[in-house]
Amino acid sequence: MLYLYALSEPPTDAPDVLGLDETPLAVERMGDIDAVVGALDRARVEPSERAILDHARVVAAVAEANVAVLPARFGRGFTDGPALRSAVGERSAELTRALDLVRGCSELALRVLAPSDGASTVAASGRDYMRTRLDEQRRTERLADELHEPLAALARAATKSVAAGSELVLSAAYLVPRDTLADFEALVTELGAGHPDLTIACTGPWPPYSFATAEPGAA
Amino acid sequence: MSEHLPAAQQDVTLLELVDRVLNKGVVLTGDITLSVADVDLVYVGLRVLLASVATLEQGEAGGA
Amino acid sequence: MTRRDEERLLYGAGDLDALAAELDRVGTALPRRINADPEHVERGLAQLVLTLVELLRQLMERQALRRMEQGSLTDDEVERLGETFMKLEQRMEELKKEFGLEDRDLNLNLGPLGDLL
Repeated sequence: MLYLYALSEPPTDAPDVLGLDETPLAVERMGDIDAVVGALDRARVEPSERAILDHARVVAAVAEANVAVLPARFGRGFTDGPALRSAVGERSAELTRALDLVRGCSELALRVLAPSDGASTVAASGRDYMRTRLDEQRRTERLADELHEPLAALARAATKSVAAGSELVLSAAYLVPRDTLADFEALVTELGAGHPDLTIACTGPWPPYSFATAEPGAA
Repeated sequence: MSEHLPAAQQDVTLLELVDRVLNKGVVLTGDITLSVADVDLVYVGLRVLLASVATLEQGEAGGA
Repeated sequence: MTRRDEERLLYGAGDLDALAAELDRVGTALPRRINADPEHVERGLAQLVLTLVELLRQLMERQALRRMEQGSLTDDEVERLGETFMKLEQRMEELKKEFGLEDRDLNLNLGPLGDLL
């Protein structure tokens, strides 16, 4: 079966690496969109550690060698070329838009942890409880914006998720042009310095997994 | 040879990677549904994953 | 992972161990297995039930806070809702203790539904 690693804007350079099951990569050329695939000699792919890491490795190599790449999610296969072609054809407009969006960009991920005492909410009355929870929620949202907004301003696109209930107050992804990655990193460092009480991790650059559909933020 | 980063840093990076590969990325309607269904409850231990990474790195160092 | 993955933590400050634990907890990796060991069926069931209750509690609390913010709740309603949520929180703590469950055991990976929380 034809296992899909990524879609790419033509002309696509298949990197010289092996994929799952140590199989070589191939490019399925379909006009405006290329697909980087591997012919696997099996009918099922389990999400084993090895397979997950192989998939990630291949996608990273493809993104390194090509200017506009949409990573495919793990585990999708097609019986043959025509089946793949048909699936791509169904969504070609959306996919070419997405390729356009991610061209020349990498994804950076941000996670922010605010320490919590873990205690249950202490409140003297029901009203007090609600007020406390609301204040907490507002504080969290303000904090998330303080960090997210300046970073989003440097990115071509951004997604974010704010969880007032948990310690993980902000999870975000930013689509950043490769030539401005250093500026972005510098801003993260600056924001981090301004919030010494928070745990902040910025990882990347990643291939643009979170922006692989034309609507960023769609899971 | 790869240097040994503090475990926490490796963990965070690995978790981000696995999250992307499994939960993000474009999904085309494949005529073969290969991977776990969205409600599958398979659990992969992080320790096992890290052990695999170590094995892979050894393999790479020994190979080309 | 290629060696370049070592360079992928561009910035890290604070308690990264706690962050890794939290990322693991919210199931960004793979969904957690509910304890379905036949020797601990009760605990497994409690885990499932409490997870769902916790999910509902968070959803309802969020809803209520939204309405409170919009000003569409009377003082009396705010008071009664708050008391209910407080009691529920306390009861959840008791039940978790009873079944030996931690916060980490009460997390299903909800996929897209997770964004509701």
